[in-house]
Amino acid sequence: MMAHSAFNPFEMAQRQFDSIADKLDLDQATRDLLRNPMREYHFNIPVRMDDGSMKVFRGFRVQHNDARGPCKGGIRFHPQETVDTVRALATWMTWKCSVVDIPLGGGKGGVICDPHNLSLREQERLCRGWVRQVAKNVGPLTDVPAPDVMTNGQHMLWMLDELEAIRGEKLPGFITGKPVGMGGSLGRTEATGYGLVYTLREALKELNVRPHDTTAAVQGFGNVAQYAIELYQQLGGKVICVSSWYQPEQCAYTFRKKDGINLKELMGIIDRYNGIDKNKAKELGYEVLPGDAWIEQEVDILIPAALDNSINTDNVSKINKKVRIMAEGANGPTTPEADKVLVERKIFLIPDFLANAGGVTCSYFEQVQCNMNYFWTKDEVLGKLDQKMTSAFIATSELARKQKLYMRDAAYVISVSRVAQACRDRGWV
Amino acid sequence: MGDVDEESSGAMMKGIDKRPTMNSVVSSLRERAKELQCLYSVEELLLDATKPLSESLRGIAEAIPPALQYSDLGQARILLGEDIYETEGFAMKPWDYRCPIIEQDQIVGLVCISYTEQLPLSDTGPFLRDEIKLVQTIAARIGHFLLYRKLRGMFESSTEPGRQEDGPSAEWIVAVDLLRKTDPNLLDRIARKMINLLVVTGCEEARELLVTYGSEVRLDRASGEINEPIQKTSRVALSHLVDETFKLAARTLSDAEILLRIQKWIHQDKSVYLVKPLIDSFASLGEISDAMRRYRHYRPEGAELSPASSNSLMASLLRRFFTEQLEFINVAKRYVDPEDIYEILDRLIYPAGSHGKLGGKSAGLFLGARILQKQRENVPDIGEVYTPNTWWLASDGLQEFVNFNNLEEVYEQKYKNVNEVRQEYPHIIQLFKSSYFPQEIVKGLSMALDDFGDKPLVVRSSSLLEDRLGSAFSGKYKSLFVANQGTKPERLAALVDAIAEVYASTFGPDPIEYRAERGLLDFNEQMGVMIQEVIGKRVGKYFLPAFAGVAFSNNEFRWSVRIRREDGLVRLVPGLGTRAVDRLTDDYPVLVAPGQPTLRVNVSPDEVERYSPKFADVINLEANRFETLDVTALIQQAGTSYPGVRDVVSLMRDGLLQRPMGLATDYAEETPVVTFEGLVSRTPFIKQIAAIQKTLAGALGTPVDIEFASDGEKLYLLQCRPQSSASEDAAAIIPPRVPAADVLFSANKFVSNGHVPDITHVVYVDPDRYNELRSYEELVAVGNAVSRLNQMLPKRQFILVGPGRWGSRGDIKLGVRVTYSDINNTAMLVEVARKKGSYVPDLSFGTHFFQDLVEARIRYLPLYPDEPGIQFNEQFLLASPNILAQLLPEFEHLEYVVHVLDIRQLSSGRILRVLMNAEEDKALAFLSVAGAHGDAAAVNEPRGVYHNTASSNIEEHWRWRLRMAERIGELMDADRLGVRALYVFGSTKNAMAGPGSDIDLLVHFQGTASERLALEAWLDGWSLSLAEMNYLKTGVRTEGLLDAHIITDDDIRRRTSYAVKIDAVTDAARPLRLGQGLRR
Repeated sequence: MMAHSAFNPFEMAQRQFDSIADKLDLDQATRDLLRNPMREYHFNIPVRMDDGSMKVFRGFRVQHNDARGPCKGGIRFHPQETVDTVRALATWMTWKCSVVDIPLGGGKGGVICDPHNLSLREQERLCRGWVRQVAKNVGPLTDVPAPDVMTNGQHMLWMLDELEAIRGEKLPGFITGKPVGMGGSLGRTEATGYGLVYTLREALKELNVRPHDTTAAVQGFGNVAQYAIELYQQLGGKVICVSSWYQPEQCAYTFRKKDGINLKELMGIIDRYNGIDKNKAKELGYEVLPGDAWIEQEVDILIPAALDNSINTDNVSKINKKVRIMAEGANGPTTPEADKVLVERKIFLIPDFLANAGGVTCSYFEQVQCNMNYFWTKDEVLGKLDQKMTSAFIATSELARKQKLYMRDAAYVISVSRVAQACRDRGWV
Repeated sequence: MGDVDEESSGAMMKGIDKRPTMNSVVSSLRERAKELQCLYSVEELLLDATKPLSESLRGIAEAIPPALQYSDLGQARILLGEDIYETEGFAMKPWDYRCPIIEQDQIVGLVCISYTEQLPLSDTGPFLRDEIKLVQTIAARIGHFLLYRKLRGMFESSTEPGRQEDGPSAEWIVAVDLLRKTDPNLLDRIARKMINLLVVTGCEEARELLVTYGSEVRLDRASGEINEPIQKTSRVALSHLVDETFKLAARTLSDAEILLRIQKWIHQDKSVYLVKPLIDSFASLGEISDAMRRYRHYRPEGAELSPASSNSLMASLLRRFFTEQLEFINVAKRYVDPEDIYEILDRLIYPAGSHGKLGGKSAGLFLGARILQKQRENVPDIGEVYTPNTWWLASDGLQEFVNFNNLEEVYEQKYKNVNEVRQEYPHIIQLFKSSYFPQEIVKGLSMALDDFGDKPLVVRSSSLLEDRLGSAFSGKYKSLFVANQGTKPERLAALVDAIAEVYASTFGPDPIEYRAERGLLDFNEQMGVMIQEVIGKRVGKYFLPAFAGVAFSNNEFRWSVRIRREDGLVRLVPGLGTRAVDRLTDDYPVLVAPGQPTLRVNVSPDEVERYSPKFADVINLEANRFETLDVTALIQQAGTSYPGVRDVVSLMRDGLLQRPMGLATDYAEETPVVTFEGLVSRTPFIKQIAAIQKTLAGALGTPVDIEFASDGEKLYLLQCRPQSSASEDAAAIIPPRVPAADVLFSANKFVSNGHVPDITHVVYVDPDRYNELRSYEELVAVGNAVSRLNQMLPKRQFILVGPGRWGSRGDIKLGVRVTYSDINNTAMLVEVARKKGSYVPDLSFGTHFFQDLVEARIRYLPLYPDEPGIQFNEQFLLASPNILAQLLPEFEHLEYVVHVLDIRQLSSGRILRVLMNAEEDKALAFLSVAGAHGDAAAVNEPRGVYHNTASSNIEEHWRWRLRMAERIGELMDADRLGVRALYVFGSTKNAMAGPGSDIDLLVHFQGTASERLALEAWLDGWSLSLAEMNYLKTGVRTEGLLDAHIITDDDIRRRTSYAVKIDAVTDAARPLRLGQGLRR
């Protein structure tokens, strides 16, 4: 077996786009416009190190498309960052914002560095240096960064502070992912999990099934899973099992209670990484099954909310006949091969970038609130989130129904067509 | 000579200044003050030599009772010849104490103290130990005073005018005369010194004289050795020589100089007399102690001892109190004063006639503390470093205890078979605990408890074998915490109990085995005990330090290229340091490199939280025991009553870690994470630790390993010893000439210490091929394959070699995507940085699970194959048969990326060995003979410490297991149990079994359900019995020793589960003979 050209994430993103573009029958100009980023900034960031020496880091900002609004996307610190990775991620951000119909474009940025080799002071100087290099090209109405791989709220605050110093004004909407009280939005913790269930609720409506009559199996017990379970149970659904990582044995287990798990009870026996204590769960009457067992349960709904590639050729065949809906809480939980099986089995899919778009929607809300300098209550945030997710789902599923598309393709089609339309309306193509 | 008194009273004054710093307990301080007051009065009275003797002695008698514990009932009497000087109304009582007054070896009188009433018994009758010493001191002082008076009288009468023609300038002649009459031996010694002085000043006649003295004999014979005894010079001749010497001196030197010299030599000689018992190796600790006190009281200021005798005194004291080890003495001489030793005396408990020592741990700590104290002026960053209040029990306390209870048979313990030792050990602990301690030791402990009050204590062993260079006994003997709460008898009982248990640990199986391995068995074990206050503060019902930890001056676990080895490493934990000393499986200490404190292992807040300490060891004062608590809950509950909490924790708020600020922090409402951020960034702590390490390493001439603790205010040094890491972390000696064909790879950058022996499998992910993988799925699949291999390959006997950054969470192309659980069985993680053009990629240094690697002792090594001078046998890795597809058929398509090599198959039974040496910054992986020890070592084989011990054990473990497996086969009634065949596989078959390994059996079963039940029961019985036998052999407890997998024809047909092992291509199960022809 011989390898051909090496795996390149940007090429993969382009191929993905090409196939959608074919479906949409886009003209060449639109393809050329959307296949590549609108703008890219590559720059040097000189940083004075703690020992007095200077070190020059390489920084990027890629703005893939801003036809629908300011670019939105994270900043990554990674020692072997490549511009192709950043390009691919910026492209995906464009589609993600578009699928939930928020007025933002796609962007991504990064710095080639290993924070493990940098002191906090050096990291601060690096963050401020990054902003100084692109201060003219970013901002609340232009391009809005957020934390990403190896960056966090602290880095964002340094960057925000630097831009505000340069511009001489307060611009909290420049960056999202800030702590509450420093311009962050309430409801962010719940957003992804709740958002997933909003779309699930709509899917059930469409299939004419009452949530009361459904059962679900959940993979993972992290933030997304916990809030998803909470809301789904409020709707009347019954979660019969969750899987979670068990630290002492370095493996995952599935915890099952056929008459429904008790979220509160399980929350009481987790460690701080949301791992459920196997022994205590046993005492509480849960069956402890192998980590993979969640997938073979006789349920209506599967919610993979843990790892990527967890549904693959090895286990896709184990999915129970009863399963009707798969709501992807994690990013890329299904491999392309397994995806084909889902299509054959006619399992209704709520694809990841729709199902877990609650997060990015909440970031959008953060930005909106910052720009008007008025902050909503949590209920307001979640109410607006419900609206956004619901209409995004309806738009996607309608398209899927009308065009007889697989939900994943429908989501892509709708998002690409919205962006293409905006470009056309602006007279760019 | 007349100034002796002034000098000694000067020493007295100094003593007064010094003493209060030593004691903390008010009552004993009061006793001490009274005693000092008395000594001071005595000195006052004796200062004026012109005062009538009777007046002085009466005054002394009056001064004694106020110094006694029950001063109002005390009385004293001094007898001198016929004369009696006593306190008013002195009456003889049966409970008195008498001490003779000795003048020039003659008893000339007596000092006697007693009480008017019978009082409770104390150290000696009703008297305290210190009171007895006081009387002895006074008696000695009087004796010297008498001699001085006599000499002074003679001196005055002989300096009357007209006796010498030289007039007043010839005072020295009088002195010589006096000496001739009173102390001719001293005169001899002085004359000898004089003649040496004259020779040095170049006087020819003096040289001739020296020849006649006899000591110059060798000079003339330098050209040839003559084997006949040198003739002895007679006494009369000597006397003549003295005269000659001084005649010569008179001609050469001025009178004033001669007098000065004589005076100085008399002083020196007198000091020598005082310290004589100190140098005497037969003197007991009691005698030394007395001599030390005398020396202190009489030591003249200024020129006290000649440098030579001072050195020899120090050396012999160090030898007596600490260790015979020359390295130690050589360093310690420079930093320790006799005064320092004096401070130990007050807190040293020893049996009568003891010749014991304090032991290694005490020695290290004592010396460490002295070095820091002395170097503070030069290195201000050291700052204030304290040592906890400590009492010592001399090392022969153990022997005394054994003799006292007639337990001598325990000495034979060490020659017994180790399973006997293990079996009997619990019994010995109980035996020791129910035995009694000699009275003087109990008394000493009781005094110690009065001194400590109800502070929690730690009883630490300080064996003479412990902490010697090269044999780090750390953790082999017990250290026990005692909460020390309750009534005095209860506390005393608990303390005695703890000491008995520490004593018993000498006869435990682990230290005995360890000693046997190191050839230290015949060394008569003596164990000193340190009783130390636990540093800390009370927090609710708990007692704990704000933080504690260990610091190494060499950093063997560098997590960034910017960290140098000499930047050191600190492992910090909240609460007691026990959690920092041991590698933990369920928790992590905070790691800081003092030389680079801003470069932390964990960067993002979630990483920091993930790898923060979650538990703290504390002492529960109410339950009187040692406990491990959830530290988050503790801090939430305790809030600001946790000592120095603001420097210990950060608060996790909305994804950010913030240092607590202001007064309003309600810890109960927060999520505190132990980060020590405040401690590191806003206190001088790290600077201080760096300075301490550097200073100690510099002074001791070796990297050091220290333990410390802080109560939130003061930093305490708890232990200090050479950084002689556990054997497997020691620098491996890399053999100079390994044939190039046997070398797999070498490294010369960022190498840590250690060796990984007996590697049977190598998993090599080819960087080039990995880089060329086209799909994301394939890249992920490589990680999955590694994860599966991690479960299949023998634990800690395979290494993972792969591109770039193992466990990278960013771009999957930069390294195989794995989590810690996917690699946790590997012995070593190797990252390969291949040059791409002129660019060498960064490696991760294992940062993604760095702390997991550290705690699990998984080695990390970065390889730079394209650097000059590096060997990298790519051909071997790529072209050797790859067994991936045999092991994991489903991953066959990755065969060209993931190479799995069975080293033994490839190299006719040899294994791969990786030796790493940080000192040379070199590592070498090469093919070698398995378990090189015994006969096999004849092959040019590097023999690390590890091989001498562990692999010989492995040898034993697998052989025994294999024998047992064969035995099971022989005894199995195969027909009755429905067994068709029996196989052994896994570590037993592969000769890799360790003390805790299972015996993996594969049972091919063809019987009925009831036969199956019988088979399971039969195997269960074996399993339990073997587990017990194994426990007795090794001390490792397992629930059962057999891991029997029962498979059916169906399994074999479908090749499911373990059935694949039968006739497998690699690592096939080995059939066992079923015995007694039962199988037809």
